Amino acid sequence: MSRDLAFLLPELTLMITVALMLVAEMVRRAGLTLLIGLAGLALAVWFTLPVLDAGTTVFGGTYRIDLLSGWAKLILLPATALSMLLARAELSGRVREGSVYSLIMLVTIGALMLAGSGDTMLLVLGIVVTGLGSFALVAYPGDDAATEASMKYLVFGSVTGAVMIYGLSFWFAGSGSTLFSALSGMQTKPLLAAAGLIAVLVGLGYKAALVPFHFWAPEAYEGAPVSVAAYMSVVTKIAAIFALAQLLRDLPIQTGWAWAIAAIAVLTMTYGYLAALVQTNLVRLLAYSSVAQAGYFLLGFVALGRGDIALLSIIVFAAAYVAMNIGAFSVVLLAGRDIDAIRGLGRRAPMLGVAMVIFLLSLAGIPPLFGFFGKFLLFGAALKAGFLWLAVIAILNSVLSLAVYLRIIVAMYRAPEGDEAAPRASPVAALVWGTSLAATLGLGIFTRLFFS
Amino acid sequence: MIPIVSLAVFLPLIGAVILLFLPGTSKAVSHGIGIGFSALTFVLTLVMWSRGVVPGGFSQVEEVSWIEAIGAAYRVGVDGLSLPLVLLTSLLFLLSFVYQAKSSDRARSFVILMLMLETASIGTFVALDALLFYVFFEVSLVSMYFMIAGWGEKDRQRAALMFFLYTLLGSLPLLLAILGMFLASDPYTFDMRIWIETQPLTGIGGMLALIAMLFTFAVKIPAFPVHTWLPAAHVQAPTVGSVILAGVMLKFGTYGLVRFSLQMLPDAFASAGMVVLVFGVISAIYGAFVALAQSDLKRLIAYTSVNHMGYVVIGVAVAAMAVDPAMRAVALDGATLQMVSHGLVTGALFFLVGMLKDRAHTREMSHFGGLLKITPVLGWSFIFFAFASLGLPGLAHFPAEFQIFLATLNISPWAVVSILAIVVTAGLYLRAIGLVFLGEPGKEWLKMPDLDGREVLVLIPLVALTIAVGIVPGIVLDTIHTTTTSLGF
Repeated sequence: MSRDLAFLLPELTLMITVALMLVAEMVRRAGLTLLIGLAGLALAVWFTLPVLDAGTTVFGGTYRIDLLSGWAKLILLPATALSMLLARAELSGRVREGSVYSLIMLVTIGALMLAGSGDTMLLVLGIVVTGLGSFALVAYPGDDAATEASMKYLVFGSVTGAVMIYGLSFWFAGSGSTLFSALSGMQTKPLLAAAGLIAVLVGLGYKAALVPFHFWAPEAYEGAPVSVAAYMSVVTKIAAIFALAQLLRDLPIQTGWAWAIAAIAVLTMTYGYLAALVQTNLVRLLAYSSVAQAGYFLLGFVALGRGDIALLSIIVFAAAYVAMNIGAFSVVLLAGRDIDAIRGLGRRAPMLGVAMVIFLLSLAGIPPLFGFFGKFLLFGAALKAGFLWLAVIAILNSVLSLAVYLRIIVAMYRAPEGDEAAPRASPVAALVWGTSLAATLGLGIFTRLFFS
Repeated sequence: MIPIVSLAVFLPLIGAVILLFLPGTSKAVSHGIGIGFSALTFVLTLVMWSRGVVPGGFSQVEEVSWIEAIGAAYRVGVDGLSLPLVLLTSLLFLLSFVYQAKSSDRARSFVILMLMLETASIGTFVALDALLFYVFFEVSLVSMYFMIAGWGEKDRQRAALMFFLYTLLGSLPLLLAILGMFLASDPYTFDMRIWIETQPLTGIGGMLALIAMLFTFAVKIPAFPVHTWLPAAHVQAPTVGSVILAGVMLKFGTYGLVRFSLQMLPDAFASAGMVVLVFGVISAIYGAFVALAQSDLKRLIAYTSVNHMGYVVIGVAVAAMAVDPAMRAVALDGATLQMVSHGLVTGALFFLVGMLKDRAHTREMSHFGGLLKITPVLGWSFIFFAFASLGLPGLAHFPAEFQIFLATLNISPWAVVSILAIVVTAGLYLRAIGLVFLGEPGKEWLKMPDLDGREVLVLIPLVALTIAVGIVPGIVLDTIHTTTTSLGF
């Protein structure tokens, strides 16, 4: 037991942190809440480093301490810190500001559970914990739009969650265990395997906003504060994708799940970008863009079980996606949500403009930015698994994505009409986009760090 | 030892970064940094030239390990194919900075973009790692997009968007081909030297990779029928954008055609050689005829690029099909020299059209007439480069095209029909000269000033090199020949 707890040091740190944060929030010290949160995150990252390549499980195989869950911590915890800082820039001085930080921390704990889950029960628990926190976060502004968005999110989440639990019971019936590692026995029971797979795709597809379970995402992102949208588009999405990877690693390839994943990948990428092409609200545009980006993750999935490249490509792209997506959202936070608000931004605030160009080009996968190296590895994984057609479709979608992102860039460098306000000046937000920019520019060159 | 090649690649980028962190710089300082850094880079490439190349493989190689697990590294070096192109690139960039020095339109941003583009262009030619090559290849696209979108003419946004989408769609198949080569190599590596040596992909995989590469490079060259982005981009691009696009970036396509398609997949290319040859012949003839139909001088020159690059494609295709190594060397010598000649001559022609447009604010040939009397230096320079472009003996294109036709006649005689295109080119240039420079000058042009000292300074090196390459092609050809005779397949 003490061995297990030693491996859980990062998670335990975060739980103590969130308790302290709630205390600080009770005395209405929002700044202190934020500081405790950031300190806790830093400490948890520190505790993660020694167990990064432990490659073991705790609590009888239900929770995995492996490469995927280790990198999930190293990626999601900094992402959480950046989101909290972004929330500070956006919501500073609002009532119950500290609750936002505490809720974000709580959702992150759920996200880590998802990314490390080795058992269907833990998976369900992770979905519920992330879900409960997220509903409250979306509803935080308290206006009609936020309430409606949160309600839709909640109803959608409850239904998909119920479907998933129902479907998982088929797997339990087939394998006699809730452990993922017992799924290898499903090879002889294709119908039961398929029923469970569909249910899992519904549940985790909803969380990761994969097409066709993405409908809530643009609504929820639009209703929520921009910083919360940035957080959800990154942390809960990546957690769900990592959970799906944990699960599919153990599902026998003969059940044909790779084809289902490939089909969803095509739908997600194509629909996401097509829908993004016609948006005029930048938050909605980035919402559809992050739907499409989730499709790229799935390219790595088809190669799961065929060597290290699959997991590595997913991890590298996750890190890249965090940097560039949080960066893009933070620019939207400063410049305004409408595409007309960003008009002339490149001339009014040159550095911010250049930063946004780099985030968008990285999202489109242009080298030598971080997003390119992630996508490059994902294409390589798909090719290695023999899915040439999938890589070709992904590449065509990359061209489509460029059209999506260039729309913003073109608007940014059009002559301003005169009455646009200068973007908000916020040192905290500048710290966020500056960090994201450094990561987007630099980590591509230091991709070797992920190959340790 | 000083890493000269890496310095030549990254010196312009260093200049760009310095400029980026000097906000509020005056235009004089911006242009000064541009000219200074590109001049230093030119000196470095001259040092590279003086070090020369060795037969068989690459010289002046510099390597830094990057991701050992997948065999990706920073690797640069040159051979007889890339070294002349590197020198051409650094020269054209230096001249472009000199030409641009009078411009005041957001000078700092423009110089930053140009310096980025110079790093990407030189990097593309010297990269010996496929991943690195692709990175430079794509960065050049981004810089050129912003150059057209920011400094182009009236319809620039649409042209820039079309350019970017078209060429990105074009370059992504190369990424797949690179991944295919990578997955076929054992142990995994992105080292282009090993790919050239071991040719990891064969059979159907090799053919698929070749098709992907041919698509990428055909868009870039551009060859018929994927050339349609070129006139639009050229007409809307600023003058130096056109010079770099035609003089340097089109060569990425033909360089890639030799370096990747021919050297890494010689067997697949040999069997598909006839198809490539047919497209080369169509490009050469079609480009010439469409150029004949143009009334806009810049569009006309853009289409002659399709024609000239068509000859390069013919040369490479013939080299792929050649059985006799001596004949293959002749074809490749001609193709590579043609790349250099085209860079010199078409670069100069785009400069001249830009100088004319700066004065007259139009490029419609029918609006002009008799300019030779009013602006003799501009007029004679144009006539000189027009004759060079149509392949007059004694000027740069002649030795190149002569060798291409010689090899073609030897290997695939029917393809010599493309020589007809030279007649068409001659006709279209004579018509252009007649319309613009001969006859009676129109009244509105009487006050037009002739070229000033800075503009003449831009043209002098190009005139000198065009004559030198025409009369003593050996100054470039010896370097090229060292490599083409030792390709080893």
